[in-house]
Amino acid sequence: MTTRRTFLKVLGATALATASLGRTKQAWADVAALSAGGNDGEFFLFIIAAGGWDVTLWADPRNESVGIINPASTDNTDTAPLKKWVDAPLLNGGKSFQLVRAKGDKLVFGPGIGALAEMGDRLTLVNGLSMNTVAHPDGQAYSATGRHLQGGRVAASSIDTMVANEMGKEQLLPAVSVRFPSSFVGENLDRRVVPLVLADVGTISRTLTRAQMFEPAQTRDRVTAMLSEEANDLASRSAYPDTLRGMDLQYQALRRMLGGNLLEVFSAEALRKNHPDLDYKARFAGGSAINAAFAVEAMKKNLVRSVSFAISGFDTHGNNYRTQAQLQQETFGLIADTLKLLDAAPHPTKTGKKLSDHTHIMIMSDFCRTPQINLGGGRDHYPNNSSLIISPRFRRNFSFGKTDAEQLLPAPAKKFADGERAISPPDLLATFVHAFGVNPRVYLRDGEVVPELLAS
Amino acid sequence: MSRASSASTLAFVIASALSVAPIGCAREIPLKVQAAQAADLVPQDTVLQDTSHKEPPRMVPPEVYMRTYLTLFGGLSPLDAQKKARGGDGGNVFDSWNDYIASLGFPDYHVDIPRQMQTNALMVATFERLGVALCDRAVEHDLKSKIPVPVASRVIFAFDVPKGSTLPEPEFLPRYDVLHRTFLGYPARLGPDGRSRRFYALYTEIVKDQASALKAGQKLRFAPEEEGWAAVCYALVRHPEFHLY
Repeated sequence: MTTRRTFLKVLGATALATASLGRTKQAWADVAALSAGGNDGEFFLFIIAAGGWDVTLWADPRNESVGIINPASTDNTDTAPLKKWVDAPLLNGGKSFQLVRAKGDKLVFGPGIGALAEMGDRLTLVNGLSMNTVAHPDGQAYSATGRHLQGGRVAASSIDTMVANEMGKEQLLPAVSVRFPSSFVGENLDRRVVPLVLADVGTISRTLTRAQMFEPAQTRDRVTAMLSEEANDLASRSAYPDTLRGMDLQYQALRRMLGGNLLEVFSAEALRKNHPDLDYKARFAGGSAINAAFAVEAMKKNLVRSVSFAISGFDTHGNNYRTQAQLQQETFGLIADTLKLLDAAPHPTKTGKKLSDHTHIMIMSDFCRTPQINLGGGRDHYPNNSSLIISPRFRRNFSFGKTDAEQLLPAPAKKFADGERAISPPDLLATFVHAFGVNPRVYLRDGEVVPELLAS
Repeated sequence: MSRASSASTLAFVIASALSVAPIGCAREIPLKVQAAQAADLVPQDTVLQDTSHKEPPRMVPPEVYMRTYLTLFGGLSPLDAQKKARGGDGGNVFDSWNDYIASLGFPDYHVDIPRQMQTNALMVATFERLGVALCDRAVEHDLKSKIPVPVASRVIFAFDVPKGSTLPEPEFLPRYDVLHRTFLGYPARLGPDGRSRRFYALYTEIVKDQASALKAGQKLRFAPEEEGWAAVCYALVRHPEFHLY
């Protein structure tokens, strides 16, 4: 039965939606132009800080003991390696950190932001993401897909699959995923964009290595060509041809991969040689530097649409929390270095443009860590989160969303169509795909576009 | 009490009336069976069974692929198969299983990689690498051994391979049937139209290619007819029907 209250609620929501439609009319006109071919040559990099990061050390800095919050201090954090840590006194003794004002003067961070603070005028920060979960697999799935797990199963496609399906079908490697929680779930997906899930990027070169002493490359190519025909033939006889057509496309992709020069380009050794500026020896994030090098190289050669990878080690429940800030510093340092490489690289198809003009980066995590320090000296799981976007399509030097002062819980960010509430991962993902002219409803069940986050 | 006694009075009256009334059955009508022309019975107890798949083909789980692969390799353990596939010749035919855990679709809980449910281009590339390793080593074992291996003891090529010639189609087909049954599990004649012809064309082209590569001075270990059969082998071990069910 519809009560008067429900009726008024629906009426209000409709009015609000209509108002926001008017507000985003121009934005829709812009994105319609984009979807009509304006997205050619866009590249995507998705990074997950696996384990759940401590947002009080960077995005949502807390350097005072307020409410239940125990800030990072010299008692619980190794501050020596931190370049942006400057001591600030705590009321009850000890020393916390001074806030770091990023370039552009609008964003304020904790010392974990490291070298990325110098690029503050390029960042879009989202705080107070309501996670509704404190389980790693669920948090990762929610951040990457906008849906919670259903009985352990992923319920929707991840963001890298979404953008690859919209903009990357023709690429040789539409979506490369190195330990990222990628998923390929749902209808209307092209099987060419099934994420290539890898344990490390070196797998690509190892998988494409072929012995030369038994048969010439032409022989293997003939076999693959025939299998492509076989798959196509079977598809034409099948009541469910999609899977077989997908295999046909994958055989074709294999022929292109083996025909190109991928083997030499993507060996770990060649990547290190081509990008010596990345810190491969960093204590925590050094291992992930090779993934960043791969992303830049693959984008430069116009082979991928999306590269996604994980940087792990953020799950610091115990004494290992002491190095959480250093891990963050290395992570954001790696992102800053990657941005510099993208700035220096010419776009492969757009003459006169830099690669960074058309590369869109999103950094996420499972959730954040508790504001209290536990008995082991670490922080546990907490259902709040932050995210960072570096994209010309987003409003730069801008922060959206908030948490409450005493408990670090997500606070209402704005009035959405369903009322005032905190922003959540589906909203962020919907906004992200909307920025490229994609109707979020094709991929996301929930979530509302947040026009405030988009570049005007 | 009065209601109970009136009900029993009514029952008595009805019973008395029925006992007075004449009771009898209707007269029996004798059955007359008319003679008709003999005809076949119409089968009415047969229900047509639809055995077609009601869902799209799925990827064979990587564990099943791996077990099948090891069985085809002669029932070896994974480490033994790895050793055999790598060989001692520095041919770079194979390296180690660890390199392919994720790309074969296995879950890798050590690094939080979930199980893959769909094939992708890199997985197809891995299938090729593993398939070529299996078939090339099988040719070495079955066909190139210094002491000839009896047909019954062969791993894959359980038929004789005449040396130095391309087989005509009628001689190719029974041998191809052996491989088809080994890898796809049913006789080649039950496969879709045109498959056998397609495989024969592949075989002849590859024999020709290998012969011209050898003539051009390329150093290759297999004779043309051996390479022809190796190619048929890894076309079958990489076939969509081998990976989907």
